[in-house]
Amino acid sequence: MTIALQVLISGLAAGGVYGLFAAGHSLIYRLTGIVNFAFGDLVGLGIFATLLVLAGTSPVTQAGAHEPRFLLALAVGLACCVGASAATYFGLVQPYLGRGSTIGWVAGTVAVAFAIRATIGAIFQRSSYVFPDPLPFHRVGRAGFVGIGGAQVQARAFFVIALALALALGSAWLLERTHFGRALRAVADDGEGARIVGVPVDLFVGLAFGLVGAIAMLAAIAAAPGGAASANTGTLLGLKGLVAALAVRFGPPLYAFAAGLVLGVIEAAIANVHLGGWQLGPAYREVLPVLFVLLLISIWPSREALEERE
Amino acid sequence: MTAAALARTTGAELRRAAGEARGAWSPAAWVAVAALALGLLVPFLGLPGLRMDALASTVYLAVAATGLGLTVGAAGLPSLGAGAFVAIGAFTSALLMARAGWPLEPAALCGALAALAAGLVSGGVVRLRPAFVAVSTWLLAWLVWLFLFAFPSVSGGSQGLIVPERTLLGLSATPTVHYEAALVLLALSLLAIAAVRHGAFGLELSGLRQHPPLATSLGVPLARRRLGAFAASAAIAGLAGGLSVQLAAVADPAAYDPFLSFKLLVAVLLGGAAATLGPAVGIAALGLIGLVSDPLARLLQLPLERFDTAVAAVLLVFVLALGGDGIIPWLSPWLPRFRRRKPQVTLCYKAGEPAGTKSVLKVEGLTKAFGGVVALDGLSLELAPGETAALVGPNGSGKTTALRLISGAMQPDGGRVLFGGRDLTEAPTRERVRLGIARTLQTTSAFAELTALENVLVGRSVRRHYAGGIRTALATPRARAEEPAARAAALHALAVVGLDRQADVPIPELTSSQRRLVGLAAALATEPHVLLVDEPAAGVGADELEPLARVLAEIGRQGVAVLLVEHNLRLVRLAAERMIVLAAGEVVAEGSVAETGESELVRQAYLGAHRL
Repeated sequence: MTIALQVLISGLAAGGVYGLFAAGHSLIYRLTGIVNFAFGDLVGLGIFATLLVLAGTSPVTQAGAHEPRFLLALAVGLACCVGASAATYFGLVQPYLGRGSTIGWVAGTVAVAFAIRATIGAIFQRSSYVFPDPLPFHRVGRAGFVGIGGAQVQARAFFVIALALALALGSAWLLERTHFGRALRAVADDGEGARIVGVPVDLFVGLAFGLVGAIAMLAAIAAAPGGAASANTGTLLGLKGLVAALAVRFGPPLYAFAAGLVLGVIEAAIANVHLGGWQLGPAYREVLPVLFVLLLISIWPSREALEERE
Repeated sequence: MTAAALARTTGAELRRAAGEARGAWSPAAWVAVAALALGLLVPFLGLPGLRMDALASTVYLAVAATGLGLTVGAAGLPSLGAGAFVAIGAFTSALLMARAGWPLEPAALCGALAALAAGLVSGGVVRLRPAFVAVSTWLLAWLVWLFLFAFPSVSGGSQGLIVPERTLLGLSATPTVHYEAALVLLALSLLAIAAVRHGAFGLELSGLRQHPPLATSLGVPLARRRLGAFAASAAIAGLAGGLSVQLAAVADPAAYDPFLSFKLLVAVLLGGAAATLGPAVGIAALGLIGLVSDPLARLLQLPLERFDTAVAAVLLVFVLALGGDGIIPWLSPWLPRFRRRKPQVTLCYKAGEPAGTKSVLKVEGLTKAFGGVVALDGLSLELAPGETAALVGPNGSGKTTALRLISGAMQPDGGRVLFGGRDLTEAPTRERVRLGIARTLQTTSAFAELTALENVLVGRSVRRHYAGGIRTALATPRARAEEPAARAAALHALAVVGLDRQADVPIPELTSSQRRLVGLAAALATEPHVLLVDEPAAGVGADELEPLARVLAEIGRQGVAVLLVEHNLRLVRLAAERMIVLAAGEVVAEGSVAETGESELVRQAYLGAHRL
């Protein structure tokens, strides 16, 4: 029971971040029919831009994290992420969408992903970095851990879960209630139709590219001080989002968000749960969900995903 | 058959094959042989500063890229997972050599088999839209890498697996021996893939790439053909990985990260996915760029540990921005044209015998609803051999839905499709086409990158028996014997629609009504007993209606039952004898064109105030 609660909460915290990546992937797919392979790395770019402004490339101490400088760093990071995402869309996705060239946007976005990884790796040469904590969670409970029903849970986990839920619901509200959101739904429904009735499709889709990156980045930064950050951080988060989005076949963004939450809990369970002396262990944590989703899509594809007959 | 007789026939066959090869020997073949010979001599030229091990591993990489060319170029699948198959081959081979003490050759073959198995299991994704193929193969690349890092007991962890010394084909496996073996392997895989791409298999892959619905409507098996290409690429990559890992002497997980997959894809696109030679040229270009860029990075003291990552990414963006054709297609206008001689048509086409005089197609109570909207509500009809019936009705009355249900592109909610007394309601499209139900698509659809004759040849898919990938790659006697017959049949089908003179004209140079006729000829080439024609007159000028009607009449004279869905009542009157009128998914009138066309009911349901 203790372990179950611990797994659930830490899993939901990780899953909340995955979920926002998954929702971003699925929204982009539904808007354009493409998958942004650079999504995770674009967010990684934002995270490391934040880190650069906050603490340079030296090993990080807690100092400086509470000052207004953090807000400045966050703003710079968000601007980098949004700008690079929009540039990716206008430079490497939109031209190939018009031409109907799949290989163009696939190769283009993957190229952006690897270019960002190479750049981050060149500037931040240590194998991993600690992200400074803007919120004083280490003062809550016992060194940042609180006891619930006998379980020791990171206080940050609750904050991350709450933030992820707030961001997900906020985005859902944005999609449902605002002019921008309605226009995006119209584009997802029928891009050509939306264009004809006067929606500035390219502008809005480019904005959506940047916004999903910004939203995912906020959650990733909230969760980042909990672990080590490296050039792989963004890539792996994007990958988890892709796994969750693929599990629901790029369905509605809220489904994808839910799938991300489930993925987080499953990963935590794989790493920690003992079943009668039998335990999978952390080694399986990364591998099994990817393998499962891959087999699922290969053996049992949904009708909508099949190459269209006519 | 006795051994002596077998030896005699085999000998005769070999002599014939050798004769054919002499006949087909072209300047291009001489150039290729000279290039190969020169390549084999490189280690003995004593070139200064040549690192044999780096050269050999580059050639192995070119083998893997050449294999990927089949998936990306011929099949048009954006695979981001080629490196995963190299890794699977490498680690299978390395484990067998290091832990079980196997020799190199069987270990590398097992590596290829392991990659083939992985390709077959993950290959289910080839049925999906390209975006899903890209995502799944990307996940595969990461999965293999994550696995290697999570399980150091398998991969040797950050140290990697130490691979012991081995012999290759009886010689101590030095870098030079590896290089020669890799070059021969590259030549063999280039030959095999060129044969596949020029053969029936490649034609069908090309059709599936350009227009999946059209190709499947002609009976081309989408999943089987694409899976064949995908799995073959995987096996070739696995073999290259399994051999090269011994050359490297260590299987290091870090060398098989997803960047390897990306690098292979970049090579394919850089060299030109459309050409068989493209991927190998791409690898060579990347290698040359690496020779220049690495010292440059050191000179400028750039802190880029993996400079080639950034270079490859920038290069790719550059290639894509220029149109994405790659090196070989750019060069081709300047290269002398080594044109292949067209095989001569030697056989005469015989039309299939029409079956009896009773009804050949019978449809009973076909029903289909989309959501709450009933598109077709209990359609029943019969067609006799050689009869032309028209299915008419206003937009949305269910005509095209009826054709899709009969052809198997869609499953009905209720009712049956009987063909020659056999229930085909559940049968897949390919089976129906094979038995004799063909359909043309509503839109002007043809494979835009092929000539008229090649378009029609795609329609021969169900009549070929030896068109599988392995037979095509090896050019077995039966696969070769089948080719002239297929061309003759395709030419005959083109002659029926009056386009035999335009056989070698590329589709973009034909008029839109000619393209429609090509589509009709492709359907005819499947040798149907029942032909379902969807709006052949859409977009056809008034003066072209009579020739079209004559073509349809000629098809009917050959004993083919034609079901014509058409808006243009002039064509209906010219071509059809019988008329079935649909409104809101139900048959409202049926009878001869002369009588039914004039009835008040039809006028109200279909024509409104206009007179026929």
